[in-house]
Amino acid sequence: MNVTLNWLREFVKVDLPTEDLSHRLTMAGLEVEAVEEVGAGLDSVIVARLESVESHPDADRLTVCQVLTGVETVQVVCGATNHRSGDLVALAQVGTVLPGEFKIKKSKIRGQVSQGMLCSEKELGLSEESAGIMILEGELELGAPVFDALGLKDVRFEIGLTPNRPDCLSVRGVAREVAAMTGQRLESPDTALLEEGGAIEADTSVVIETSEVCPRYAARLIKNVKIGPSPGWVVRRLEAVGIRSINNVVDVTNLMMIELGHPLHAFDFNLLRDKRIVVRCAGENEMFITLDGQQRTLQPSDVVICDGEGPVALGGIMGGENSEIQDDTTDVLLEAAYFDPNTIRRTSKRLGIHTESSHRFERGADVDMIPYVIDRAASLICELAGGKVSRGMVDVYPEILASKQVEISVRKTEATLGLGIPADEIKRLLTSIDLELAKEDGGQLLFTIPAFRPDLEREIDLIEEVARLKGYDQIPVTMPESRLICHRPDKRQQLVTTCRDFMVSVGYHEVVNYSFVSPTSWDSLLLPPDDARRDCVPLLNPLNEEQSIMRTTLVGSMLETVARNLSYRSLDLRLFELRPTFKKQQETVLADEGYRLTAVLTGRRFPLGWAQQDENSDLFDIKGVAETLLKVIGTTTVDWLQDGKEPYLHPGKSCRLMLDDIMIGQLGEVHPAVLDSYGIEQPVFLFDLDLQVFQDRELADPGFQAISRFPDVFRDTAILIDDEMTSEQVLAVVEQAKGAYAEEVVLFDLYRGKGIPEGKKSLAFRVRYRAADRTLTDDEINKAHDRIVRALDHKLGAVQR
Amino acid sequence: MKEQLEKMAARARDEIQAVDSEAALQNVKTAFLGKKGEMTAIMKGMGKLSAEERPVIGALANTVKEGLEVALKDRFDQLRQQALQHRLASEKVDMTLPGRTMFKGGKHPITLVMEELVDIFSSLGFGVSEGPEIEEDFYNFEALNIPKDHPARDMQDTFYIGDDVVLRTHTSPVQIRTMLQHAPPVRVIAPGTVYRRDSDLTHSPMFHQIEGFLVDKKVTFGDLKGVLTAFVEQFFGSGTGVRFRPSFFPFTEPSAEVDIACVICGGKGCRVCSHTGWLEILGSGMIDPEVFKAVKYDTEKFSGFAFGMGLERIAMLKYGVNDLRLFFENDLRFLSQF
Repeated sequence: MNVTLNWLREFVKVDLPTEDLSHRLTMAGLEVEAVEEVGAGLDSVIVARLESVESHPDADRLTVCQVLTGVETVQVVCGATNHRSGDLVALAQVGTVLPGEFKIKKSKIRGQVSQGMLCSEKELGLSEESAGIMILEGELELGAPVFDALGLKDVRFEIGLTPNRPDCLSVRGVAREVAAMTGQRLESPDTALLEEGGAIEADTSVVIETSEVCPRYAARLIKNVKIGPSPGWVVRRLEAVGIRSINNVVDVTNLMMIELGHPLHAFDFNLLRDKRIVVRCAGENEMFITLDGQQRTLQPSDVVICDGEGPVALGGIMGGENSEIQDDTTDVLLEAAYFDPNTIRRTSKRLGIHTESSHRFERGADVDMIPYVIDRAASLICELAGGKVSRGMVDVYPEILASKQVEISVRKTEATLGLGIPADEIKRLLTSIDLELAKEDGGQLLFTIPAFRPDLEREIDLIEEVARLKGYDQIPVTMPESRLICHRPDKRQQLVTTCRDFMVSVGYHEVVNYSFVSPTSWDSLLLPPDDARRDCVPLLNPLNEEQSIMRTTLVGSMLETVARNLSYRSLDLRLFELRPTFKKQQETVLADEGYRLTAVLTGRRFPLGWAQQDENSDLFDIKGVAETLLKVIGTTTVDWLQDGKEPYLHPGKSCRLMLDDIMIGQLGEVHPAVLDSYGIEQPVFLFDLDLQVFQDRELADPGFQAISRFPDVFRDTAILIDDEMTSEQVLAVVEQAKGAYAEEVVLFDLYRGKGIPEGKKSLAFRVRYRAADRTLTDDEINKAHDRIVRALDHKLGAVQR
Repeated sequence: MKEQLEKMAARARDEIQAVDSEAALQNVKTAFLGKKGEMTAIMKGMGKLSAEERPVIGALANTVKEGLEVALKDRFDQLRQQALQHRLASEKVDMTLPGRTMFKGGKHPITLVMEELVDIFSSLGFGVSEGPEIEEDFYNFEALNIPKDHPARDMQDTFYIGDDVVLRTHTSPVQIRTMLQHAPPVRVIAPGTVYRRDSDLTHSPMFHQIEGFLVDKKVTFGDLKGVLTAFVEQFFGSGTGVRFRPSFFPFTEPSAEVDIACVICGGKGCRVCSHTGWLEILGSGMIDPEVFKAVKYDTEKFSGFAFGMGLERIAMLKYGVNDLRLFFENDLRFLSQF
């Protein structure tokens, strides 16, 4: 809602400095989002008279003007064509800075001295567009600042209103707040309406067929108007609040809507068939063309204003093309009505029409305002467009809407706010915004609520008004006296924190991607048609196709992130995302929102440096991260099932992570075809882990094991085995055969190539032996180690090297 | 023999001083005092001495031997010192060379801000609750006093999953879920991801909020001011200006918008604060009786307050980030700055 200071001053005396007024409005809940001072700093733009206007000797389109300032005569070169000798003009003198930081300097234009500029309205910030310079009307004193002389100095406030305050969708409503906060009286301009025409009942009638959605409808008739442009002050007022001037009649309806908050509509009376009004519900799929030229399909839940034959306006929202004011309109039927907020809201939403009118009606207009606003409008139309107002007003209001009464208690107010406010002060505060005290009984006060405050329905609403008017800054700052509650992060929160801290500690950066992805990402990931991850939750109204389904895996977004970073030439990436995915559920409409952890690695193993190898990461870098992470969260029994079944991973370089036969994730090198579809040109290693499994199960606590104080001995052995044999097979045999003293087994070398026969490989492992209670003898250790070597030979055909 | 000993001692001392390495000195020691050394050879003549001479020469031999041992030890120490000095003088590296660098990881700035907020409110006794991101209309709107067709629904453009299922537009539904599960007192914050159907320079369709609420006996608007002022001072620094001004939320009444003095200009007015000197950081208010009705709390017995703030906004203010989109582009050059 925009208001100007001059307009406000018609309703309330304001002598606060602009900054104070703006601050106090904001602190009263009417947030001032911007302030614009019209004419500020433009006192050097003065009223001047053109003594002579001659063509520029060296430029066809310019004129050289001698301009009388009241003190002297200066020469100004001007590019406009609408000025004549003798005109009063706005002269920006040398040194003036016009809006847009445009500084006026003494200059020479094509050889002619120019000492200033003749201004247009646009250049002075008075209008959006202007044709030619401003020619001033009337008797004005030469040399006087133009803004003062014309009374144009003003301040425009842009107020961000909350939806509960329809009463402030008008200049008068804002003025009421100003009056309350400064202890002034709210003035109401008189409506001295001359009714010179015949009785209105002789010419027209109004019937309401649906009084639940339109409880009141009033009309006035003005005959013999002359449609034309509005005077400058009307145009400027409307423009200041963002409304384009149309003609003198329509402008009056808009002016009244902004000034008093009640939307009006003007019909060309002679275009109304049968010259009468019927308010009814629309028929099923009834067609109607609104005045913006759009064809609308209506429903019985919409309210239409009809003439004798059919709709002429969509009630409370927009007029019809068939009855709008034309250039040759002579008779005007003026409507002021009240519509049910929910009805207007539903219609406006369904049809996608949001107008200044629907905005006010759907928040709640003031039904009691109708006679006043229609008289004011009729009188102003006569003033601007001539014409005679018919005698009387049609005012159909079958069932008067009862005003509400709400009680507030002094005790409850103090209990809510933490500040005691006596009854007398509550009375003073609430009556300052035109609530009426109906009854007082001890600490209980009963107020009658004016119709313009539909938001005040309950005691708490009144308590809020008291707090607002008193000032939130008057309420003391205290700390709650609450009882203790034991709060610890739950298992999921702990798990998420542990995983995140770990990933960061091993050099990974956390990313956050949108939860919605493109359905094409399933194809990019090569997921087959029956893959469970394709069964996802779609949005009914996505912003676009790329963000239209809820992701069931973090992998697609992660690969996009990798591709984006590579395109920015960040080539060494360690990234992870730790967020929920959304799995459809059968039994409930909600999704299963289990957390997953997806990590990727690509590029160098170490940052490029003088002291380290310039080498690329590989699969086993990320596998090491995954293994350590699993240890950190307390899992040591994961099986790495190498079945090549994860579609988006390289079949020979990937595995699925199994925990007690449940698949908990995947790890591997991303499939080259997948990389290709994401436009990635370097190998990417990835793991994806379902964290929900861990939060749902109790992990075995291995407990503490005593530390041996005796020395250790280790034995290294290299064996030659078939290349097909996995390290898991070898280590399983070692594990079985190692005996009680083997404390640790480490695979420390894998070798193929020179010296090793084709189809074979060499694996070397180290076993550390130690007893808890004594120093082991060489003999014991040799025996134990021999057992391992023999078992490998026996079970796997491994030859010791 | 006495003369022999004295001559040998003099020679030995000369040689001890003459050598310049520990190894050479060791050779000298062996040559004079070793089992097959000169001292041993001389002492073999003891048997030929008279009974009177023997103790005298014996004592002299001991003196000579001890003297040589001391001289040898001193020389050893001296040479060792020299060698060490030499080594230290020759071993010098360029300490300005960088170390073997490692890749450094980091949390997303939203996580960092979230953790700090959780930390602050935990210290005030708030626990952490979470709720689903795909949420039922009842929890997201109805129970929060936002009925269908209410203009307040326009304040939040909603993504729909079904007729009565939405992507939650705020973290406030966690309030409802928590209160339905627990009787007062409750004191909980709920950080989480939220969604609104809006995407431009200053709006992201997905962003993060933290919700907080406290319900107990005798909770007042003054307490709301106290807790939120404590939060502002912890997060933005003590002495940060803070003001509460009337606003509207369907689920609180009285409602307050909380502004802090602009952290960029200190309240003088700049582009970031639209020349007002104040920055809006959170919405708050006393929990509306309608909300209590929905969760069956007795409004005569209990009162409470709630608040909510956008983490991206807080993060932008804290770190001086000027573009919301950066949080979701995950550019390493951005992420590595936190």
